[in-house]
Amino acid sequence: MEMLRADNITMQFGGLTAVKDFNLVLNKGEIVALIGPNGAGKTTAFNMITGVYKPTKGKIYFKGKDITYLAPHRITKLGIARTFQNIRLFKDLSVLDNVLIANHLHIKSNLFEAVTRFPRYRIEEKEMIKKSLNLLEMVGLTNVENEKSSSLPYGMQRRLEIARALATNPEVLLLDEPAAGMNPKETEDLTKFIKQIRDDFDLTIFMIEHHMQVVMGISKRIYVLDYGVTIAHGNPNEIQNNQRVIEAYLGVENNA
Amino acid sequence: MKKRNYYLTTISLIFLVIFLYFAHNYMDAYIVRILNLCAIYTILGLSMNLINGFTGLFSLGHAGFMAIGAYVTAILTLSVNSKIQNFFLEPIAAPLANVEWPFFPALLLAGVLSAIAGFLIGAPALRLKGDYLAIATLGFAEIIRVIFTNTQNITNGALGLKGIPAYTNLWWSFGIAAFTVLFMALLINSSYGRALKAIREDEIAAESMGINLFKHKVMSFTIGAFFAGIGGGLMANLLGTIDPAMFKFTLTFNILLIIVLGGMGSITGTVISAFIVTISQEALRFLDQPMDLGLFVIPGISGMRMVVFSVLLMIVVLFYRHGLMGTNEFSWDKFLNAISLKKPLSKGGKYNGNA
Repeated sequence: MEMLRADNITMQFGGLTAVKDFNLVLNKGEIVALIGPNGAGKTTAFNMITGVYKPTKGKIYFKGKDITYLAPHRITKLGIARTFQNIRLFKDLSVLDNVLIANHLHIKSNLFEAVTRFPRYRIEEKEMIKKSLNLLEMVGLTNVENEKSSSLPYGMQRRLEIARALATNPEVLLLDEPAAGMNPKETEDLTKFIKQIRDDFDLTIFMIEHHMQVVMGISKRIYVLDYGVTIAHGNPNEIQNNQRVIEAYLGVENNA
Repeated sequence: MKKRNYYLTTISLIFLVIFLYFAHNYMDAYIVRILNLCAIYTILGLSMNLINGFTGLFSLGHAGFMAIGAYVTAILTLSVNSKIQNFFLEPIAAPLANVEWPFFPALLLAGVLSAIAGFLIGAPALRLKGDYLAIATLGFAEIIRVIFTNTQNITNGALGLKGIPAYTNLWWSFGIAAFTVLFMALLINSSYGRALKAIREDEIAAESMGINLFKHKVMSFTIGAFFAGIGGGLMANLLGTIDPAMFKFTLTFNILLIIVLGGMGSITGTVISAFIVTISQEALRFLDQPMDLGLFVIPGISGMRMVVFSVLLMIVVLFYRHGLMGTNEFSWDKFLNAISLKKPLSKGGKYNGNA
């Protein structure tokens, strides 16, 4: 089943074309990677899908519904969650609060019910806390729920960001360089972890990643961007042997 | 533990009530008036802290909301006779001439109208960020003041209103201040409050977590305006006289001073700071008098005492950014640990919502 589809999305900033005619299809349950050298426009593509940028051209569909011009919070509510390349936690708030905030979009109680601690709100709050603690446990963050989120070590902050994204009940999860700054052991754990959450939460995952070990290990398909243009698309094997990809990463061999 | 805190809170509240009873009946009018002002500034500080401290919106429109609140209660509670006396240049607009409401409904309407103004100004202005929002809201407050100066048959223009019944007493001011503290504590510790804090911390991340930025910002702004209107109303019925010149930027500045000194994002800090600032504004009045320093004599300069606050503000901003409390709150556990000089068992206890 087709979850997410982008048709020729283009993003121009003034005269600069950051992404040109990007096409994407994500099928249910797939793990798909987006790779490319620095400045290739990968994060821009993410920002268009999540509504942070409005594409200059092209359309984006989520389960057949046009989401091109929706505000980011609406897109999240429909079921697309993301993490950020440079971690964006709510730094001064506790670990638990970070995850609880991501539950807020599904709240049914109104402001009045919340302030007066109406029974319905109390039940919702209890469920939110239970769900959040569960999520924290699943990502391996037990006994730190009352710590300030910025006090966690880097690797834990990354996992907290994923837990936070999962708390919005997504169907499609976009991970922006989840393995950035991780050592080989952590990277290996992360690879397993991504597969595991895909299965546990019935997710479709689209990720930007530089660690080829992660990318080649778990992605079913790979898109390669260079200077905003999609230069290759295929399974890991095809990508590894693609001449243009090798050139983009390693430069052109000069025979002269 | 929980039970102990509950008892401690109850006992302190009883003591507060006894103190208020004593102050209300036996203390001199000057002290009672300062206590009233302390409570009113607590309400105003909390309402501004909700917008600026908890939601992270830099708004400077508080004097405008207070002006709306003050004028609404003043016009509604003025007796028919005093209205005739006040409006001698031009008679008051007919529908308002014969109204004389009791205090509470007038106060409530003051809050509601101020909240509506907050909503109307917030909806377009909250699309702006940072300094631009500050300028837009500041402009709004000035516009309100200019409008009130020129609507002769409604607000009596620059002449102001005199003889507003002195309904505000310690029960009203402290009662509403206590309600405001309770409301803010419950709001901030609810899911909606967490959403506001998320917006303060990181707008982009908050939006990506599905929080409707616009809705929550307008909500915070409207609630803040509501309490600012009520604070303005209490002030009008305490002072007995209001005129548009009262609601200049300096009034907003006073409240901003309170929340910055107390800690942006702390209810406890705002309450403590409101009392300290209000009391010291009176205590430092001697600075406005002529001073003989032996070698030379300083002539009386009115407003000299505000220099102290300006210097204090500079020191806080430069060296002590978090203010008195930062984003921390009072809790009995922390308090008892502090006074018993024992090492705290756990850092960062949760605010229990009943200070």
